[in-house]
Amino acid sequence: MILYDYVLSPDCYKVRLLAALVGAKLDLRAVDFHPGGEHRSAAFLRINPAGTIPVLEDGDLVLTESAGILTYVAARHGPDWLGDDTPVMRGRVAQWLAFGHRLSASIGKARTHDMLQKPADIEACRKAGVAALRELEAALIDARLRGDSFLAGNRPTLADIACFPHAMLAPDGGISVDPYPTIRLWTRSLRALPGFIEMPGIHRLHELKPEPVGTSA
Amino acid sequence: MTAAWTPVALVRDVPPLCVMPACVDGVELALWRSATGRLAAWADRCPHRGMRLSHGFVRGEALSCIYHGWSYGSDGHCLRIPAHPDLEPPEAIRVPVYHAVESGGVVWVATEAPDVPPPTVEGSPLRSLTVEGAVDWAAAGFSLSGPVARGHLSGIGVTILVQPLPNGRQVLHALAEAATPAALKEASRDLEALRRQAEEALA
Amino acid sequence: MTDPVRDEWYPVSLVSQLHHAARDTQLLGEPIRVTLRDGQPLVTASGRALPSQARYGHVWTSLGTPARPLFDIPEADQPGRRLVDVGLVRVKCSPLRAVENFLDIAHFPFVHTDILGAEPHTEVGRYDVAIRDEVDEVWATKVRFYQPQAAKSAEGGITTEYMYRVPAPTVSILYKTCPPRPGEWDVITLFVQPLTETLCEVWPWMALFDDVTPLTDLIHFQQTIFLQDRSILENQQPSLLPLDPGMEIPTRADLTSVAYRRWLKRRGYTYGAQLVAA
Repeated sequence: MILYDYVLSPDCYKVRLLAALVGAKLDLRAVDFHPGGEHRSAAFLRINPAGTIPVLEDGDLVLTESAGILTYVAARHGPDWLGDDTPVMRGRVAQWLAFGHRLSASIGKARTHDMLQKPADIEACRKAGVAALRELEAALIDARLRGDSFLAGNRPTLADIACFPHAMLAPDGGISVDPYPTIRLWTRSLRALPGFIEMPGIHRLHELKPEPVGTSA
Repeated sequence: MTAAWTPVALVRDVPPLCVMPACVDGVELALWRSATGRLAAWADRCPHRGMRLSHGFVRGEALSCIYHGWSYGSDGHCLRIPAHPDLEPPEAIRVPVYHAVESGGVVWVATEAPDVPPPTVEGSPLRSLTVEGAVDWAAAGFSLSGPVARGHLSGIGVTILVQPLPNGRQVLHALAEAATPAALKEASRDLEALRRQAEEALA
Repeated sequence: MTDPVRDEWYPVSLVSQLHHAARDTQLLGEPIRVTLRDGQPLVTASGRALPSQARYGHVWTSLGTPARPLFDIPEADQPGRRLVDVGLVRVKCSPLRAVENFLDIAHFPFVHTDILGAEPHTEVGRYDVAIRDEVDEVWATKVRFYQPQAAKSAEGGITTEYMYRVPAPTVSILYKTCPPRPGEWDVITLFVQPLTETLCEVWPWMALFDDVTPLTDLIHFQQTIFLQDRSILENQQPSLLPLDPGMEIPTRADLTSVAYRRWLKRRGYTYGAQLVAA
């Protein structure tokens, strides 16, 4: 599977993260999103006329939205991540995959505005980002009241992957995550999963490693 | 007038090996819990290069700064500087320490040595939420005494601990009497409605 | 009478991005516009033309009258080098904090985990630091650190040797061991544009010996490193870099930053800094 990828993109990271968690191999093709604007080049528009990343190629298949790519990778390499095959779970996972696009459009845009000087209505993006984080916090509390520790159930699914990166990276766009203790605990449990990988802006959880003993010569 | 004890979190939201930011009397704090469950509230600033300790990590009984890994022990003194593993860190390298206790399922912090215990409160932890405006407690049917507001939401007895923040903001830490998950979910929605009213009044 | 802040050269744009559109930005709190006129950079502030030049892939300008030419990086003209524009990243921090972070290696195992450093290899050995008066620059030499993956061109862990150079208050240059060409140094720079005292844009740039790694991968590696530092830089207090001892406690690993702060103070460079330890 080839992933057209940008190391700083939270949407590309969702795919890299899922692949790491399920042990799927990705052939990464770096796209010079910034400063090169390669995603808008004639050559890239042939790969994806929308000019967006991530894009996944697997044989003849080309997928262009992170929700679709995540679903495919999970279906092929880690079906547990789709959640149980019940109408309730299908509905929940689809809901959060859609919600993930709202996070990209609000928090994601605030972040590329603040960090990379990409144009945006920054006040509107931050306001929408705060609203989305509040909804995420409330949903995690509802989940806990149901006895679930993840968004769609009692184990992590694509629902969590779709929301995790922007929930962590919101401060890059001037949106504090201090007001959301339930989001904080949920992100910790995702970061502690075996096979978890970081992206720039999300630190390693050093507490998972014991204090080294002796000197370090 | 500043209260002796300020509620800063629900106990459940500060599990072992966790650190989070908090703000009391305008002082920015790193609130954390060690592996054995010991709770602490420290100034949110590493004396090395001023990095927020609330971004750090907890190992065993020590809190370490994410920047250079300097680790600090129970009374805020520096235990270890990874760049100099054989160096005994000087006594002067120390993080200011404040008072933190757990009571009634709530974490309370005091910036000055308190001479009274925190208020007695009832209920099980429901949730915390941050509000960007003033809540009209009377209109909501709550009676407010110091930081403790008592009332009902969707028929459930609720106790809300109010933590003031700078600039007219506040955090509400809500405890509820025993109830079904469905009823508690309604109470959570009621809290969001209270927040909406407070913030719309501000607009 | 020289103004130590205004009479410096500052980076304000990538030359390559000016082919698309003019760039409206800020320097030391003042609005400026950067554009190309007949292939040459033109920088104006409120309509008044400023001194400007294109060098190292970037446009440099000054709000004052620089007494000296722009610093020299001879490696930029060396045949066989890949010259890499990494692109801007904006950070809400003092420009001086951004430079100082670039001079620091003790954070590698914690912030650039498993890339530039890893526990338990956290020790920072003795190195040499000097303020070279003849060129008025800060230099650190014989800096060594064990790294799991020091460069895109490295295979496996090596002990990397570094040198650091500060040729201007908001510019930092690092020279590091070059695996494909032992005896040569890879050059990685951080050109920092001060928009205000607490807001800056950093422009990393590189002159490398690496014929193998695709250009985009080189760009992304450097962006990764900087993005890992960004959340540190936005969470240091106080925002303004203290030039007096008191608030912050350095150790022997921090000799480069100690020299940098002393050098800034000696020059009277206080933009993005504070003098009295609060």
